[in-house]
Amino acid sequence: MRTFEYHAPTSLNEAISLLQEHGEAARPLAGGTDLVVQMKEKATKFAAPSHIVSLLRVPELSGVSFSESEGLRIGAGATMSQVADSPIIRERYRAIAEGAALVGSIQTMNMATVGGNLCNAAPSADIAPPLLAFEAEAVIVGPSGRRKLALEEFFLGPGKTALAADELLAEVRVPLPPPGMGSAYDRHTPRKQMDIAVVGVAAALTMAGERIERARVALGAVAPTPVRAPQAEAALEGQAPSDELFARAADVSAAECSPIADLRGSAEFRRHIVRVMTKRMLREALDRARSG
Amino acid sequence: MAQETEVREEEMQREYRNVGKPVTRIEGAGKVTGETIYADDMQLPRMLHAKVLGSPYAHARIKSIDGSAARQHPGVEAVFTPADLPEYKKNFSNRRGVIFPDEEVLFYGQPVAAVLASDPHVAEEALALIKVEYEALPPVVDPITAMEESSPLVRSPLGDVDRSEERGHVTVGVEQEEAEGKPSNIASQMNFKRGDVEAGFEQADVVVEHTWRSAVVHQSYIEPHSTVADYDASGELSVWTSTQAPFYIRDELSQTLGLPENKIRVTATEVGGGFGGKIYLQELMVAALAMAVRRPVKYIMSRKEDMLAATPAPQAVIDLKTSMTRDGKLTALKSRVVYDSGAFPGAPMLPGCLLVGGYYKCENLDIQGYEVLTNKVSVGALRAPGAHNVTFAIESHMDMMARELGLDPIEVRLKNAVEEGDPLPSGQPYPRIGLKQCLEAIAESEVWGRRNRERGTGNRGVGLAVGGWLGGLQPASAIVCLNSDGTINVTVGSADITGTNTSFAQITAEVLNVPLEMVNVTTGDTRTAPYAGMSAGSKTTYTVGRAVKLAAEDARQQMLEIAAKRFEAAPKELEMADGVVRLNGSDEKTLTFQRLGRLSTNFAAPFPAVVGRGAITTRKMAPGFTAQAAEVEVDTDTGEVTVLGFAVAQDAGFAINPLSVEGQMQGGASQGLGIALSEEMMYDSEGRLLNGNLLDYRMPTTRDLPPIEAIIVEVPSEEGPYGARIVGEPSIVAGAAAVGNAIADAIGVHLTDAPFTPERVLRALGKL
Amino acid sequence: MPKQLITLIVNGRRTEVAVEPRWTLLEMVREELRLSGSKEGCGTGDCGACSMIVDGRLVTSCLMLATQVDGRDVVTIEGLAKNGRLHPVQQAFIDTGGVQCGFCTPGMIMAAKSLLDRTPSPTLEEVREGLAGNLCRCTGYAKIYEAVMHAANAGK
Repeated sequence: MRTFEYHAPTSLNEAISLLQEHGEAARPLAGGTDLVVQMKEKATKFAAPSHIVSLLRVPELSGVSFSESEGLRIGAGATMSQVADSPIIRERYRAIAEGAALVGSIQTMNMATVGGNLCNAAPSADIAPPLLAFEAEAVIVGPSGRRKLALEEFFLGPGKTALAADELLAEVRVPLPPPGMGSAYDRHTPRKQMDIAVVGVAAALTMAGERIERARVALGAVAPTPVRAPQAEAALEGQAPSDELFARAADVSAAECSPIADLRGSAEFRRHIVRVMTKRMLREALDRARSG
Repeated sequence: MAQETEVREEEMQREYRNVGKPVTRIEGAGKVTGETIYADDMQLPRMLHAKVLGSPYAHARIKSIDGSAARQHPGVEAVFTPADLPEYKKNFSNRRGVIFPDEEVLFYGQPVAAVLASDPHVAEEALALIKVEYEALPPVVDPITAMEESSPLVRSPLGDVDRSEERGHVTVGVEQEEAEGKPSNIASQMNFKRGDVEAGFEQADVVVEHTWRSAVVHQSYIEPHSTVADYDASGELSVWTSTQAPFYIRDELSQTLGLPENKIRVTATEVGGGFGGKIYLQELMVAALAMAVRRPVKYIMSRKEDMLAATPAPQAVIDLKTSMTRDGKLTALKSRVVYDSGAFPGAPMLPGCLLVGGYYKCENLDIQGYEVLTNKVSVGALRAPGAHNVTFAIESHMDMMARELGLDPIEVRLKNAVEEGDPLPSGQPYPRIGLKQCLEAIAESEVWGRRNRERGTGNRGVGLAVGGWLGGLQPASAIVCLNSDGTINVTVGSADITGTNTSFAQITAEVLNVPLEMVNVTTGDTRTAPYAGMSAGSKTTYTVGRAVKLAAEDARQQMLEIAAKRFEAAPKELEMADGVVRLNGSDEKTLTFQRLGRLSTNFAAPFPAVVGRGAITTRKMAPGFTAQAAEVEVDTDTGEVTVLGFAVAQDAGFAINPLSVEGQMQGGASQGLGIALSEEMMYDSEGRLLNGNLLDYRMPTTRDLPPIEAIIVEVPSEEGPYGARIVGEPSIVAGAAAVGNAIADAIGVHLTDAPFTPERVLRALGKL
Repeated sequence: MPKQLITLIVNGRRTEVAVEPRWTLLEMVREELRLSGSKEGCGTGDCGACSMIVDGRLVTSCLMLATQVDGRDVVTIEGLAKNGRLHPVQQAFIDTGGVQCGFCTPGMIMAAKSLLDRTPSPTLEEVREGLAGNLCRCTGYAKIYEAVMHAANAGK
């Protein structure tokens, strides 16, 4: 690892000033499960940082909170364990808890943060598809204040986000799920754990009586960024759920994604898995929507 | 020898108090507390850390290397390019004869230069400052393409090839033909023929022919290769290294560096997993650098370096054609066995050729083996090297033929299984073996019991396969000493990689008829320990164990003689039990071990010290067979295979420590399951490794492995201590075949390429 | 790069250490505190051999910077045995044959302890989930599962 100067700011403002001061030479550090690996392997997606700004002691970034009026707030510094174990997330935002519970091992979950997982901007980030399915917003803080961005617009490409060098992802806001909503996330990996998603699929269905009022499908590892599957969603909305409908929507989502071939799987294989998993996640989301 | 056998058979009659009982490891407390010292835990004064620069090309010519900028880097003590190395006897035909190539780089990640600094971070920084100019040469990556006459050459022609390391793993007295004549990428070949295969195919009712591929897999010991070396003012070289083969390293270093063997001290530090992969690799470089700078040097491979530049196990391509009559008799077997050796010779073609036709009686055989060079890292041993590749082929065939003929897979195997006296493909007869007994035992396993119950429900299937390993043979020796307080010290020269020292304590305690706690065992270094072969080829208990037994018997005899003189009786009138020697039935005429110890160690003691000596050699193999059953569930939509249950029956001859024998069986089986399910080193068309880390090289996690059922079978060997035979390796051999057969039981299709990844399962099902 | 002074609790003892910013927690513990029980098997958080417990949570110390544990509580494998008596998990690993080469063992035991702290009576499935971040190449895990179940029963 190249050497660097370590900063441990104790407020968000202080963290932002440090980033402002050091510009491209600085990188924010949260759990370290991605960044430290990249720094060790000299395989950072950016120049080796000469300043590391640790976000560990920034109180504004921590914690998970919820209110019936505002919905869910997940601090960027919340760990995957905190998200996976949060009673409110498990109850009301099931797919998000499921995504967090799949990130690496228990050790990884205890270290990795939601902000880190999103800012690393891997197409395979497990927390991203469920957050997209819940239409989460990124709250970004910089020298000129706060701005909000739909999470879909936050990801620009592999390893690229809408953050400027002096900005931080402070928190993720997730709207209150409407009554009658059920959600699910799962991923396909060759190994049962300690693996990177070859395909991840999140589904969220809101039922109005026997019809699907709103459908959200989001995919991981099959495009340059985690993505929604808008055509699949359109195929579902307003329809009565059935195996045939889900199969049709799964075909649509498999067609609209744009996977690449790499060591984890061919493009053809990934499309096939998108089809299988979309069907399964829709079925799971429906069952959950119906059982309240 | 006849006498020894007689004694053993008599011993078999009585109840043992130490051997055959499950015993916890004598070194366990150090390992659970973290106190045990591994090579990376060593700290020596003035020690320097080495970091190594690897080639970014799989095949290239080095035009120039400039280490001057790295030398200027603050904190750097020394930089070594090929030109800076001290003189050593180079042999570019062997991996172990090369520190850095002078000119031609042969695989991606091959070490080309090194930096020494007291801060490892500084050494690593300096690597980036070494300027190397390469001329890229065409890489040859695929072994089958490499065999074609039109293929570019992997390397400049080979000189003399040294095959001493391979013979440590399997010792059968058969030689392969080294390549001669026009240069090609075929390093060596061999052929075994018996009868007339074409006539055999003619007689048969079913003929099956397929090509079976298995991947390059890595031993993936959790401790990477680790070595510390020092060269002192008196001209003595000390090497502390994570190795299975301290004496082998000493011998090699002596020849290569020109030092006498008594000036080299190799200490096998605790080995954090070896599995055949830790024999002799970076020790030469570390020793040479320590000699050059006259300071201690430590080199710990990063995980990535270990995956790039250690010695993984080869991929193989097996063409196999077999035939069977309606009543299940194997009539002919024809095979072409191709092992990809990587950039240097050393692939296990010989055991592969022996085992592909070595499990079953077959009158008509034609087995052609090839060892092919490619521009990939050179291969080494992994637990029964080469065996799993061919077993996957033959054991899939046995199932396919049985299925076509509507025969029971166990019955078909029992009908053809080799027994004592049956010839190997080389013609050598098998000694006493337990293949049939393993098949009978696996039939009783819980997993196999689910074969008919679970079939056809939810894509579940149960399959089985057999496997075997012949084992290595090397001389061995041991010393057993009586201490002045009556306790016993045992000294051996074999690295303890499987709990063998605990077994040696059991053997010694058995011979001396004392509680285990009275015995302690040390692996000495090459200057203090009596000779032992490498801890490879499953031979440690079989050979060193026998030496320990002889040494203990010698010590016992010496102790009895002392007592006999004290009591003025004959040694045979004495009995030895619980640390006391007594004259037959007497309560007064007794001597405790402590008293015996004092009588042979005190000032002006009347008797010489008790030092038992045992030394053996053997040319008799004690092959180990296994039968394994797998239960799987296949998700036919995602292609995912879940192992629900796995059972291993293995012939241990006599399990001196059943706890460690089970551990070997379960551990080897888990590696077989990795080969079956998910392990594969992936290379691109330029020969670059794509997954040099433990995230993308997927060895099984706890989530992937159910508890493995271990069933010990005991068919005593003819020469092993108490009938023990080879144990460590057979358990890895049959996993891929057993899982493949279970998948076929579940979905009706055999996969011909391992590992059975979801994508391959889907392709076999025609879903992609 | 100048060193930074950090203060932390290691195995119950307040400790001050001067660390370089690029040192990992593992490096600091092994090289500076000379507690060499925790092992580096991969350096990338994939094998678990370096597992420690920081503020009550299991982490891979090879991915945590030493500076990040300033003011925190760290337990390493050396902190488990008390007054020469092995922790029940350590004893269980010996008794069941859950120890072979020993290199994964310290990390595996930390993971097992952490699991039992959270789930005192785990099912086999919970054990398999709780240890999934710790690779072992020797045992096939069977005897490790036994060890953890055994330790759980011993703790009752």
